[in-house]
Amino acid sequence: MELVDRYVHEVGQHLPSRLRADVEAELRSLLTESLEERARAAGRPVDAQLAADVVREFGVPRDVASRYAPDPQYLIGPRLYPAYRMAVKIMIPVLAGAVLVLMVIGQFQHQGEPPSMAPFIRATESFLSSVLFNLGVMTFIFALVERAMQRREAAGTAWDPSALPPVNDPDRVSYFGRIFALYVIAALALVFNFFPGWVSVVIFHNTDTQVFPLLEPGFGRYLPLLNAWWALAFALNLAVLRHGRWRRTTRWADFGLEVGWAVILLLIVVGPPVFRYDWLTKVIVQWFLVFAAIKACVMLYRLLVRRTFEPWHAAAAK
Amino acid sequence: MVMGGTQLSLRDNLSLELRRGALVLAVLTELRHEEYGYSLKKLLADKGLEIDEGTLYPLLRRLEAQRLLKSDWRVEDGRPRRYYKVSAQGEKLARELAAEWQKLAGVIGALIK
Repeated sequence: MELVDRYVHEVGQHLPSRLRADVEAELRSLLTESLEERARAAGRPVDAQLAADVVREFGVPRDVASRYAPDPQYLIGPRLYPAYRMAVKIMIPVLAGAVLVLMVIGQFQHQGEPPSMAPFIRATESFLSSVLFNLGVMTFIFALVERAMQRREAAGTAWDPSALPPVNDPDRVSYFGRIFALYVIAALALVFNFFPGWVSVVIFHNTDTQVFPLLEPGFGRYLPLLNAWWALAFALNLAVLRHGRWRRTTRWADFGLEVGWAVILLLIVVGPPVFRYDWLTKVIVQWFLVFAAIKACVMLYRLLVRRTFEPWHAAAAK
Repeated sequence: MVMGGTQLSLRDNLSLELRRGALVLAVLTELRHEEYGYSLKKLLADKGLEIDEGTLYPLLRRLEAQRLLKSDWRVEDGRPRRYYKVSAQGEKLARELAAEWQKLAGVIGALIK
């Protein structure tokens, strides 16, 4: 009987806590009865061998628990896992490259110092903490989307074959692109609001690590504006994911956000210094501004001239 | 030997798949009378339908969560037991499934003759 208790406990460990006590009680009762019945049939008292036979037939505790659990027991399912893996594969080399560049700059700045492992160790620490932070944000975003998709499927909306998109659908949503955008927005919002000190140039050299924060106190005045923009961009990406394809409304909202982004960049360019290396960062921001302006013009051209964003089947029926 | 093992495993899998849908109908039909997990297993086995316990008991919970069964705990012979019975919704579904089954059995029977 001790084996039955251990088995029931083990199954319970793989169950959600709200189900655990009830399933454990039922399982214990059923297994005990099964065991006693088997002992009667065999004409011998209950023993460890019989108990082992009964629980072996019942199955591996983790498998049994998974049959009882109503919700999927994973954060990111097979549908989103390839995109998640690709996102991680992009994120890790980008971070490694950034840390490597900073390490090389540190070595050039301190030429002539005796060779040491210290910069390498500090750079590795920095790389690992960045990976952990980004992995956490990325996993959270993918899990959020996974849960939202499960809820939408559970709602069981009827499928309409006439709504199947054409083979070359310009409004098809790239799930990877949208989820990656959600991750970038969440990571930026977290860093600028809660860890502004991380927005720094870090030089690793033999004796210590030099940190040059990039943000000036004046940056704070743009934070509410940036937060509003991030919140709207996050909501738009979620809406696009929910619809499964671009619509006229979401395309216009996307255009509006691009214009808003250009305005924020313009305010930063013409406003007082907000970055430590004002001349250099403003040149970079100006480039971003030019890019955002061109992109907004292209988006407007597509919205006004190129074609309709009505659902294609409705347009075809006209 | 490997070939034989693979074929056996394939046959088992296909057989399991074939039985899976029928299990719900069997359980809903047998639970017109109140039973607890172990007694239901024996009842079905006596009628020729052997069901693995690790499959049957979670199935009962799932059907209950889908409101096709209702259950309550009772102590009998000094042992707490959870008794299941089909709900009105489950009974209606069982009738529909039974009609579907009859139709399917007729068609498949004619096909394999």
